[in-house]
Amino acid sequence: MLAMDQGVVEEWLSEFKTLPDSAVSNYAASLRDKGALVPALYKVIRENYSDLLEPVCHQLFEFYRSGEPQLQRFTLQFLPELLWSLLSVSAARDPHTSGCIEALLLGIYNLEIVDKDGQSKILSFTVPSLSKPSVYHEPSAIGSIALTEGALANHGLSRVVYSGPHLQRETFTAQNRFEVLTFLLLCYNAALSYMTSTSLQSLCQLSSRVCICGYPRQQMRRYKGISTRLTVTSEFLVQLITGIHYALCNGEVELGSKALDDVLYRAQLELFPEALLVGNAIKSSLHGAALKSNNKEGARSIQVEITPTSSRISRNAVTSLSIRGHRWKRHDAVDLGSPDELMDISEVDEGVWPGGVGPDMTPPTITISNSVTTLNLGAKAMKKCRLGGRTSKDKDKEAGPLTTGRANSENIELSIKRLTLTSSQSVPKAGALTSLTRTASAVFSRSFEQVASGNAPPSSNHTSSEAARYSCSLQEEGLGYLSPAPNHTQRSPSISVHLGSDL
Amino acid sequence: MTARKSGSRLETEIERCRSESQWDKIPELVRQLSAKLISNDDLGELLLGECKLQTYLKENPIKQGASPRGPQPKLVEVRKHLTAALDRGNLKADYLQEASVLMAKLCYVEGEHRDALGSHYSKVNLDDMQLLGAPVYRLSMIAEAYATKGLCLEKVPAASPSLSNKNTEREQEIITCYEKSGDIALLYLQEAEKVTSGIQNRSPKPGPTAQDLELGYFLETGLQRAHVIHFKNGNLTRGVGRFREILRAVENRTTQSLRMTIARQLAEILLRGMCEQSYWSPLEDPPTVSPLDDPTRQGHTHSKNYTLSRRPRVYSGENLFCPQENTEEALLLLLISESMANRDAVLSRIPEHNNDRIISLQSASVVYDLLTIALGRRGQYEMLSECLERAMKFAFEEFHLWYQLALSLMAAGKSARAVKVLKECIRLKPDDPTIPLLAVKLCIGPLHWLDEGDCFAKMVIDMGEKAAEFRAKGYLAIGLVYSLKATDASLRSTQEEYQRKALGAFQRAQSLSPTDHLAAFYLALQLAVSRQIPEALGYVRQALQLQGDDVHSLHLLALLLSAQKHYHDALNIIEMALSEYPENFNLLYTKVKLESMCRGPEEALLTCKHMLQIWKSFYNLTNPSDSGRGSSLLDRAIADRRQLNAMTLPDFSDPETGSVHATSIAASRVEQALSEVASSLQSSAPKQGPMHPWMTLAQIWLHAAEVYTSMSKPAEASACTQEAANLFPTSHNVLYMRGQIAELRGNMDDAKRWYEEALSINPTHVKTMQRLGLILHQLQRYSLSEKVLRDAVQVNSTAHDVWNSLGEVLQAQGNAAAATECFLTALELEASSPILPFTIIPRAL
Repeated sequence: MLAMDQGVVEEWLSEFKTLPDSAVSNYAASLRDKGALVPALYKVIRENYSDLLEPVCHQLFEFYRSGEPQLQRFTLQFLPELLWSLLSVSAARDPHTSGCIEALLLGIYNLEIVDKDGQSKILSFTVPSLSKPSVYHEPSAIGSIALTEGALANHGLSRVVYSGPHLQRETFTAQNRFEVLTFLLLCYNAALSYMTSTSLQSLCQLSSRVCICGYPRQQMRRYKGISTRLTVTSEFLVQLITGIHYALCNGEVELGSKALDDVLYRAQLELFPEALLVGNAIKSSLHGAALKSNNKEGARSIQVEITPTSSRISRNAVTSLSIRGHRWKRHDAVDLGSPDELMDISEVDEGVWPGGVGPDMTPPTITISNSVTTLNLGAKAMKKCRLGGRTSKDKDKEAGPLTTGRANSENIELSIKRLTLTSSQSVPKAGALTSLTRTASAVFSRSFEQVASGNAPPSSNHTSSEAARYSCSLQEEGLGYLSPAPNHTQRSPSISVHLGSDL
Repeated sequence: MTARKSGSRLETEIERCRSESQWDKIPELVRQLSAKLISNDDLGELLLGECKLQTYLKENPIKQGASPRGPQPKLVEVRKHLTAALDRGNLKADYLQEASVLMAKLCYVEGEHRDALGSHYSKVNLDDMQLLGAPVYRLSMIAEAYATKGLCLEKVPAASPSLSNKNTEREQEIITCYEKSGDIALLYLQEAEKVTSGIQNRSPKPGPTAQDLELGYFLETGLQRAHVIHFKNGNLTRGVGRFREILRAVENRTTQSLRMTIARQLAEILLRGMCEQSYWSPLEDPPTVSPLDDPTRQGHTHSKNYTLSRRPRVYSGENLFCPQENTEEALLLLLISESMANRDAVLSRIPEHNNDRIISLQSASVVYDLLTIALGRRGQYEMLSECLERAMKFAFEEFHLWYQLALSLMAAGKSARAVKVLKECIRLKPDDPTIPLLAVKLCIGPLHWLDEGDCFAKMVIDMGEKAAEFRAKGYLAIGLVYSLKATDASLRSTQEEYQRKALGAFQRAQSLSPTDHLAAFYLALQLAVSRQIPEALGYVRQALQLQGDDVHSLHLLALLLSAQKHYHDALNIIEMALSEYPENFNLLYTKVKLESMCRGPEEALLTCKHMLQIWKSFYNLTNPSDSGRGSSLLDRAIADRRQLNAMTLPDFSDPETGSVHATSIAASRVEQALSEVASSLQSSAPKQGPMHPWMTLAQIWLHAAEVYTSMSKPAEASACTQEAANLFPTSHNVLYMRGQIAELRGNMDDAKRWYEEALSINPTHVKTMQRLGLILHQLQRYSLSEKVLRDAVQVNSTAHDVWNSLGEVLQAQGNAAAATECFLTALELEASSPILPFTIIPRAL
């Protein structure tokens, strides 16, 4: 240590003692101008055996205890260096040298865990909720929020404790060391904006060293200090990452990204999900944003550009929003009875409905009677009858199941039906719907529901209620009602078959 | 009359077309207008000029950052119309202003910035243009005018570059132009939507409406250029302020996309550039001196210095949530962005929409990454896992999103789901050894799915050299799986088979990574379990050399010393370990045992008392579940206490069971379920549910009871047991202790009943089996006694006292040869028996 540095430090040590209380804040402001002081203090901390270390630690603690924010931040800026000093010494099992650093760190910790009245401090924050209006939004504009268990539990704002209460600590033990250090880093992170770039660099170095010492990567980084592995906790790494993130975005790109890589490396080896989670997120979020702050010292990499305000997503793409607005033609008010009936109806729809549907066609009762006959007659007979109306392709499809027992074929058929129905969803358009298509679309919408498990909106739109009314009246009219033969030639064979079977 | 009426109707119609940008209808309307009155000609010129200029801009939109175009032939006509309108001077003042403003805009489009400033903006004072009562189109026009003026001012160099004072003044003028433009633009958009939604009804239909307003170059610039300049100048305070102003304005359809971008950007700034101490809330005035601003630039103003007669509507009402902390605000903004990003998720997977899908994925992943940063900082992994679950609609084949979800589930303690998601991650990225290792960690730890763990560990090993540093971890993992399987196995041959495999795997791990203390430690532990005490001592020393203050290594060392009957040394080691880990109950249990051995039960009782004190101070104050939702752990535990009565005590220091034992399956199932529910524990703490403190407490009482029984004080022992029974009435440990007390009182029938009850809850509790065997022996029911003891030996072949009892029974039955063998085995085992089973040391990755 140079004599000049020593002089600077000694002067600093003496001047605060003689300071009257009233001059403290002015003094705090003037510290910024002492250019040689901070580097000299770093030197004192790094050289563990310096005689000055003890008075310096004492003075730093006095600063912290003064309660003057600027003096506290002056002390805090050395925190990463102090932490490294403590950890490296404890790893080297050389306990007596770090006594004063331990005392300083414990002192800060014990000051910070209590509030002004000496009560245990509990750090908490409010988890915002979109279901409560805020200065930035109105719940109604957000639309529906998924009703998860968590969403319900968080309905309204909840205050969540993220640190504390903590126990007062007299000494560092292996058990409490990282608890205390994690909390100290939390304090440091709360004042990140006030930290100098030297302090941020020191934080990055601390992170790298803590994570790689004793691991093969140490050689890669060419760090020659201690080579024992240091135990870490996931929470400690998360706090380190928070600081590194700030450093990365505020001018320390090179050291910061190195440190982040090292922390992630260690988190992988230790299988710490929390640190991996946050570290991955930072890496991925910075991946796109080019960090171009190297050009100017201390420049911030927060860059904003004018972005186009129109949506970049083309309008015809199916999005969550557009699908939410999509009105599935649902008319599930029709009482479909047993699943057997349901299937039969869909069968009719499948083979027999190849073309467009005239709006004036009224074959509704046919299907209903059809389904009833299905129940009355044997299913096999029913199917044979209907085969007449089928295309040869459909025959092929049905050939297998037909020969086997009905029960066996049910599932296969049903699944085939669903497929065909999905493709024929465009059949029901509007206005006078035939019950055939209506029931078919009901089957469709039900099967869709099963697939989409309730993604579709509740069917409160007026078309479905209309359909409900319509179908009710149909049921009142009873099964005996037969419509005139449809004018669609393609369809007629199948219908005549139905009628025949009914009679 | 009719003419005037239709005339005003015509005017309304024109106003409507201008407001709705229906420029194609204007020429026809102008024709009609000119037919009414000759004085309308000037207005007609103005309208024609405007409509042609706007149509031109619609067809040839100006891009951000594009250079000026120079004179355009298509705009010649526009200039002619506007000049005509201006020159005759017959226009009303309002229209005259409009014409000048349009002329200035034309000049900007043609690149004549100086002209725009000198000859047009000098004539119109933009501040004189009335906002109150202005028709919608004029609001837009004024906003564009301010933006254009700002653009021109930026393009034209300051008159005297030498005067820095002048420069900052000019910069301020530019910013004010843009800020006013932005404010009026927001007002215009709100008003415009009011008009259109007044026509349609006010239902928030998400489907495509007739037309969305498009902002165009000038309004976009007006809305955004101000904060861009602020950030470029390093004036973060003012930039953040501007962001907040824009976000506080009530949203409308056109601003949604802008709001989403700005909300995300503001969140980024809050997370990347601010800290708790430099934060100020959106409703507070910014600090006068802030570390956020570039100190090298002088003349920053922190608040705006203009007022407008009309301002955009802002969110208002009672009980508005206003963030008080940077994480809160970032979170709120991100949740808003997330809901929008989620809405825009492109679901169709047809190739034509590939680009759209990538865009929607990117904008969403940025938001989810930021959410992860914000919530991770605050330890809110439960909430994070729910958010990331919503990201799953983007996640098809997207490794990053799957992996993040898996990690968040793991951090939230939802282990079973995490393993399922990790499986998908492995499918997407089969080369990464970390993923299967994370899965093994869960399978070994909270889930106790040993077969799955086996599969995952083998995946890592099969990667071979590719797994690099993780290869050793892979062997460690599979060793742990085998080791736990050995503990679970009920057949002695399977046990030995697994122990052999475990030993092999740990040896492999240790040779691959000689500097890893865990490999050495688990090797030592496995050797200890197989009673190779000296070898185990060698490796535990090695582990301690690598990691001097590892609690488990120290504990193992003490147990190994106790196995060699060096009880005092063992106690010294435990005390040393306790000086580093004063609150470690596992160490304290061993200490109690050793103390009653070396220093008498009084000392041991003092330790029990000390444990109760620690327990109280620890759980009364500390809140290890970081997200305690406001209440302390103790409160939550008390709330859970009602359910406790129905549960057994799955204790981790139970001699036979170790951390989790498959045969006490009911217990471990309960624990599994609990760890899924109690999802908010920190990872460093052992992942037990909220039951954990109560189990510890019951454990302490039982240890005290044991000390009292050894002192032959049944009343005190009974009282202690009662305390434990209050917490876990159906625990086999409680019942076992009751049996011991009954035995102490000489009440053999009661004791037998208690032991039988204990065995009905945990049929493989070896200590109970041993005591029951002894009682049956005393009752001279030799064959039953022999059966029970033989079962006990099957479960744990290293329990020397069971062998001893078995020998006694066999002797009583006259089977001297077999008895001798049993006694010899007992003797041999006793020589290497630790004071507490080695398996009380937890095995986890």
